[in-house]
Amino acid sequence: MRKGVKIGIGVVVTVLLAAALYIFYTFDPEAQPLFPKCPFLLATGFECPGCGSQRAIHSLLHFDIGAALRYNAFMVLALPYIFLGIWLEYFGGKKRFSSIEKFFFGRWSAVVVLIVIFLFWIVRNLV
Amino acid sequence: MSHFFYIGTDGKQKGTFSPEELRGEGVKRDTLVWTQGMEQWKRAEEMEELYFLFSDSYRGPQTKEEQPAVQYDHSVGFARTGEIGPMPKTWLVESILVTILPFLFCSSFLNLLGIIAIVYAAQVESFYNRGDWNASMESSRSAAKWTKIAMWIAIGWVALMVIAVILFVVLIGSISGFPGIGDLLNA
Repeated sequence: MRKGVKIGIGVVVTVLLAAALYIFYTFDPEAQPLFPKCPFLLATGFECPGCGSQRAIHSLLHFDIGAALRYNAFMVLALPYIFLGIWLEYFGGKKRFSSIEKFFFGRWSAVVVLIVIFLFWIVRNLV
Repeated sequence: MSHFFYIGTDGKQKGTFSPEELRGEGVKRDTLVWTQGMEQWKRAEEMEELYFLFSDSYRGPQTKEEQPAVQYDHSVGFARTGEIGPMPKTWLVESILVTILPFLFCSSFLNLLGIIAIVYAAQVESFYNRGDWNASMESSRSAAKWTKIAMWIAIGWVALMVIAVILFVVLIGSISGFPGIGDLLNA
């Protein structure tokens, strides 16, 4: 990819991210109707593994970690993992630390991630 | 700690050695090694436990300039003939990200596409380790395809949401003029 294209993508992503963080910080998804609702929850009445993650992010941005964990523990715990993946893939992490990539983003970790998602999905609807 | 046999330059099996001892034995990247539990002999560079032997000169499998064509003597029955190219991009990181991230946008149904991508991505390494480079390449292409499909649909979904929010903000002024509708929206 050309350098100009890379910078362009970087700028667009940064602007969108900043806008999203501002919106999630300012508005409480619990109280505002403008946030999208989960189609799976609307259709089935069961929560999907992502339900509550917008409220969790709002709580996290206000440093209310307890509330964030109650809204969606999986997403709060997945955030560091997501950041790790982005760093490895797009900020040169995997060139220097290929063993970290092998461990956290290898074949078996992919299976573990899927199992965790499905377990969380089932358990949160049972409890 | 597993102990390895290896095939010396004279074509004879030697062993067993711990990974540290293998360094002293002058084991090279393309030396064939075997330990309990393995189905067949593998090149030392394919063994995760032996990466450290080549760590100073080890470059990721994606770099094209390495991987000399390896041709073993046919009299050694287990030898792999012909060359195998560098491992295709696995897409594991991208496919995992594209599976988890849509949860943030309440679009859980998109995650199914990410799961397809993960399955293909996991196959890339399996096929490559088995020496089936073509199948590995095929899986890599499929993983790339599904990762991109999932990504663009997710981006489209986010764009839809952004449009909905903007419409809402634009309309809210006019709506708030009507009694009742504002209450309905906030209910």
